[in-house]
Amino acid sequence: MQDTQPIHDLTQLDHTRYKSWPFNQDICLTCALCASACPASGIDALDPRSLVRQVGYGLEDALVAERWPWICTMCAKCEHVCPMDIQIADMVRNLRGLRDRQNVPGILQQGLEAALETGNNLRLPQEDFVFIVEDVGEELAEEAGFENFKVALDKDGANLLTTIHNKLVNTHTEDLKHFWKIFHAAGESWTLPTDNWEGTNWGYFTGDDEAMKTMVGRIVANLDKLNITHLLLPE
Amino acid sequence: MLSVFDLLIDYIKTGKIKLDKSRVKDKITYHDPCNYARKAEMRLGYGYYDEPRWILDQCVDNWVEMYPTRDHQLCCGGGGGTLTNGYNKERIQYGRLKMEQIKATGAQMVVTPCHGCHGQLNSIKKEYGMAELEVKYLWELVADCLVI
Ligand code: SF4
Ligand code: SF4
Repeated sequence: MQDTQPIHDLTQLDHTRYKSWPFNQDICLTCALCASACPASGIDALDPRSLVRQVGYGLEDALVAERWPWICTMCAKCEHVCPMDIQIADMVRNLRGLRDRQNVPGILQQGLEAALETGNNLRLPQEDFVFIVEDVGEELAEEAGFENFKVALDKDGANLLTTIHNKLVNTHTEDLKHFWKIFHAAGESWTLPTDNWEGTNWGYFTGDDEAMKTMVGRIVANLDKLNITHLLLPE
Repeated sequence: MLSVFDLLIDYIKTGKIKLDKSRVKDKITYHDPCNYARKAEMRLGYGYYDEPRWILDQCVDNWVEMYPTRDHQLCCGGGGGTLTNGYNKERIQYGRLKMEQIKATGAQMVVTPCHGCHGQLNSIKKEYGMAELEVKYLWELVADCLVI
């Protein structure tokens, strides 16, 4: 979408608009400690105090159009110093959720939709996934000390279920090996599912709770299906 | 549910893995990811500050803290989906303070246990004249020190 400048349309003033949100925005003291702590303050004029005030005022159009909630990393430096315990980072996430989904910036929505439809952000078919991880596994088995290494796929009753970040089967396959080496050395019983292996959950970034639940639910379903009690989510 | 830290600490304490401390010679600094540290403490009641530091101590002798650190650690600027939302100019600008913090330690390597932080630090280091800085996952450092 085109970036839009905030429109401070005062006919929008409605103090009750976000009353149901549990973030305490109405008790802001306007002390600006948040703005002092924020590493992004000033980037594109970003100012968490102003954001909190706009939420308190209910200036919906401005908040939805604002680029700030997307430049903010939800790092919570601001709320760590907020004397009123206002949950600014979660408030930002809710603001992201107000946007029409087609106006979510970058590839976030595209990746999330791919994940919801196919189980991973890359739309990587299962056979390609298996080919990649087995190929990297064979490479590792050529290294001294890892001769017997095998990628354990869909292993029923393993001690650990692992998920992976999609970039590890895309541009960063070498980084698959670190944990595999450690598992091998430790004699761990681990497994990687061949479906719903995605470790990222971009609904977190887009403010989409339902999508998040779906993704988490699939990981839990894998745990159940494979009779595994421990989940390692190195994400 | 297991954290990567608990798992690695268990492997080390029970002797399932052995680490060679003499292998990595670079001066290292550690970056706390917001979600494992400050946000975990604020949202879940427990922040993983000490565990990764204990693991570092098992891997190397030569590591130093950034300033500020732990719950006051500065975000790398790559969190919250900023690596994929297209606001790259802003994301690089966000990382300036982080890079200055790392530079001030004199470290040749920064270690972090987060895919987002790792991606961001690697992607912005050259923008701040630090192309030589090595960025490693905590578990990558552990793997590098493994005695097989
Ligand atoms: S630190 Fe808290 S109380 Fe102070 S301006 Fe920011 S949100 Fe308001
Ligand atoms: S959560 Fe957002 S507003 Fe708060 S300190 Fe971090 S970047 Fe700034």
